[in-house]
Amino acid sequence: MTVRESESIERRLAEEVRGGRPPRDLQRTFQLLLATIWLFDAVLQLQPFMFTKGADGFSGMLKGLADGNPAWVADTIRWNASIVAHQPILTNAAFAGIQFLIAFGIGYRRTTKYALGLSIAWALGVWWFGEGAGGIFQGGATPFGGGPGGVLFYAVLAVLLWPSDGDGRPFVAAQSIGVLAAKVIWIVWWALLAVLSVVGAGRSPQALHDLIDGMMAGEPGWLAHIDRVSEGFMLHHGTAAAIWLAVLCVAIAISVLLPAPVARVILVIGITVFFLIWIGVQNLGGILVGGATDPNSGPVAILLLLMYWPRTDATVAAPSNEAISTEVEA
Amino acid sequence: MGTPSWLYYLFGVLMFAVVAYCAVLLIVSIATKRPAGRDIDIAHILMGTAMAGMFVPAWAFGPSWMWELIFGALLVWFIARAILSLQRFGTHVPHTSIHALMAGAMLLMYWFPMPASSGDSVGMMGGMGGHAPAHLDAGIGYLLAMIFFGSAIFTLAARGRGRSHHDDVQPVITTATTAAPSFGDTLTVTDVVQEAEVGSLPWLEDLSHVVMCIAMGFMLILMV
Repeated sequence: MTVRESESIERRLAEEVRGGRPPRDLQRTFQLLLATIWLFDAVLQLQPFMFTKGADGFSGMLKGLADGNPAWVADTIRWNASIVAHQPILTNAAFAGIQFLIAFGIGYRRTTKYALGLSIAWALGVWWFGEGAGGIFQGGATPFGGGPGGVLFYAVLAVLLWPSDGDGRPFVAAQSIGVLAAKVIWIVWWALLAVLSVVGAGRSPQALHDLIDGMMAGEPGWLAHIDRVSEGFMLHHGTAAAIWLAVLCVAIAISVLLPAPVARVILVIGITVFFLIWIGVQNLGGILVGGATDPNSGPVAILLLLMYWPRTDATVAAPSNEAISTEVEA
Repeated sequence: MGTPSWLYYLFGVLMFAVVAYCAVLLIVSIATKRPAGRDIDIAHILMGTAMAGMFVPAWAFGPSWMWELIFGALLVWFIARAILSLQRFGTHVPHTSIHALMAGAMLLMYWFPMPASSGDSVGMMGGMGGHAPAHLDAGIGYLLAMIFFGSAIFTLAARGRGRSHHDDVQPVITTATTAAPSFGDTLTVTDVVQEAEVGSLPWLEDLSHVVMCIAMGFMLILMV
């Protein structure tokens, strides 16, 4: 620790004494939560089956994503899967390494921008080659199952969390790109989710039942019990559930145009519903049975919803504290 | 074909690097009669040694009950420190709580040993205690892993370096503490600076915590 660093810490803590504990830099907190998820994904990439050749391995999983897609999409997915199949250790180690790089890069303030840029590019690549474009082209991209692709949320989050000195009003997501752009992204995103809820297999009770049924094998008893309840519900009320999810997504989309108290109520409902979907339908991304590469869209959808939480003046970080924290990190 | 053995050797070597660094820190702090952070250094040395033996079974030693006893004692120690911290400074998340969780995770690893696998690594503790293999609840394993990954990232991004070893720096500063802090005392910035002056590198202390968190999270994921 240099003298300059120690003086910076002294000074920051002295500020805290004078003005009480400063409001938390929420944009930074969200960046670190995103980095934590990337780190989790990186470690999941090191699971033994990821290094395994053949149908039971990572390449087999990638190849399976091509099924049901148009030929021009399927060909690119199979091409990527064949590279992984030929060099499973090398490619998988590289994939894990890139995700470690993103996680640590976001965590270290000096490299946050580069890491977020890399995460956008990587997320788009994974979305196409590793998630089969989220199932959009095969009509199965229902938000119940994580559509339009959990990793696509990562890219949206990275854009909205681009480092900025803004004051984070009226919500954190507006800090970097401005209020108008943040609202446009929000409305387009949730309108897309509303549409995906009711198109293709998304509104089919049988498809929604099968979606849950297909993930139930090997789950712990408590989760399998929840699965049985939710698959029974979907079989009888799947279409209604899809329509209600679409209505909720529309309500979330327009919440940025509504007064803050109303928006907060809608966001709370959205967070609750997506948490329940993450548990009862997505089975926490299948991580508990092994073989998952990420926790699916539940956590990142909730993170996105929290980033649009209307803020009061008391929760907005004062610029002086921002400047001090930047100096300390430098 | 499973995970390549070099990966486990890599984690094993990283564990020993953490052990070596923390041993140096411990020796320096004893030589200079500064008790600050000693318990965390000791915990890292023990955890690193045990985890290296989990990644590479050939490097493991000692019966399972011995390690269970050690990590049980560490768990009690860090919980006691967390309670003292809460009593002294009111509602907050005591820094030692993450170390208590890590000690608890180590206990879980010995209570739910992973069955031996192929190759000369990742046998983990299958043969160490002679226990019948049992599975750690996946939910608990992943929850702990996520907490450790979060701790790793937030440590990496912390404003002040060295907080993984010397946190509980409170907003109320006593700018010139001269007496060596005793059990449960709050370290001030001055203490941290003095600690840095006697040979430790705060960023390296944080790095050792980050490495330990990732290795422990990885092990928990492998176990479930």
